[in-house]
Amino acid sequence: MNRIKVKGHHYLLSLVGLFLGFIIALSYHLTQIENEKPKMTDKQYEQTLALRNQLIDQEKANRMLQMELKQKQDKVQKNEKELAKEARIFSSLVEDTEKYRLFLGKVKVKGKGVKVTLSDGAYDPKEDNVNHYLVHEHHVFKVVNELYISGAAAVAVNGTRLTSHSYIVCNGPVITVDGVPYPAPFVITAIGDPEVLASSLNLTGGVKDQLVNDDIIFKLEKADNIIFDPILGG
Amino acid sequence: MWLPFIGLITGIALGLLTGIRIPEEYSNYLSIAVLAAFDTLFGGIRAYLQNIYDEKVFVSGFFFNIILAASLAFLGVHLGVDLYLAAVFAFGVRLFQNIAVIRRILLTKWTARKERIEKS
Repeated sequence: MNRIKVKGHHYLLSLVGLFLGFIIALSYHLTQIENEKPKMTDKQYEQTLALRNQLIDQEKANRMLQMELKQKQDKVQKNEKELAKEARIFSSLVEDTEKYRLFLGKVKVKGKGVKVTLSDGAYDPKEDNVNHYLVHEHHVFKVVNELYISGAAAVAVNGTRLTSHSYIVCNGPVITVDGVPYPAPFVITAIGDPEVLASSLNLTGGVKDQLVNDDIIFKLEKADNIIFDPILGG
Repeated sequence: MWLPFIGLITGIALGLLTGIRIPEEYSNYLSIAVLAAFDTLFGGIRAYLQNIYDEKVFVSGFFFNIILAASLAFLGVHLGVDLYLAAVFAFGVRLFQNIAVIRRILLTKWTARKERIEKS
């Protein structure tokens, strides 16, 4: 060991050693890092690149489509609003139509109402004129008009539903309603609020009193379930 | 005597532990630098064994060779010629030659000592 004696400065040599160790370690380290990375062949690299480009294209297209979608959605919203407005108008129109159909007798009607029965008065020997205690068309008119005025939605006489152009004629012993003769007693049914209809008929000095004054038997009852069929060919 | 070895170990530890990252395109320079360092190191050992060792020559050669090798590789990259291959070749050949010379010197010394021991 004596022969291997370094002449000169140790610190210079240690500097060399430090540097050598450093670069060796660095090189080793770098190689390790490179080896850890997955090896990629040219083909794979090209494939990766192509796929990446494809992805980018797709994303671009996606963005465009999303913008388009947003525009379309805005349009749809606008349309929906318009539709809602129209629907509101339509629904009110439909309600109106229903009402008008009801008045025209084009639809089947069902509901609460009242039933008025008008019968001829009992024979009175003292009375020489029979007409005084028979039910006449004007009696029926009065009841029907009163019912309409009080808000009846539909009225029928002996099951024949009345329309705006119905006619009621006194024809000897019978009353003809729209060409169908009916004998007494006459049953007038009306659909509407039974309380209102009944109270309007029962008004003091009203229809009931007048009819009773004419010796007519007036019977009023409330009905829960009255059904009118639509008028055919009206 | 042990100072250079301590320096070597410290250098290795520094390189491994600090985790300095060098960009991948410079790894070529690093490897050529390592090669140059080895070459100079073995050259120095050979010179020492041949008793023509000069510290100035060794230290300056160590750093200069490294820098030269790296700049040669750099030039090669920029000229489009793989000059670093030339450096690898030159250093490699010299490395083997140096090691061969060292081995021969050591062998001669060993046999000479053996003969001396046998004589005495």
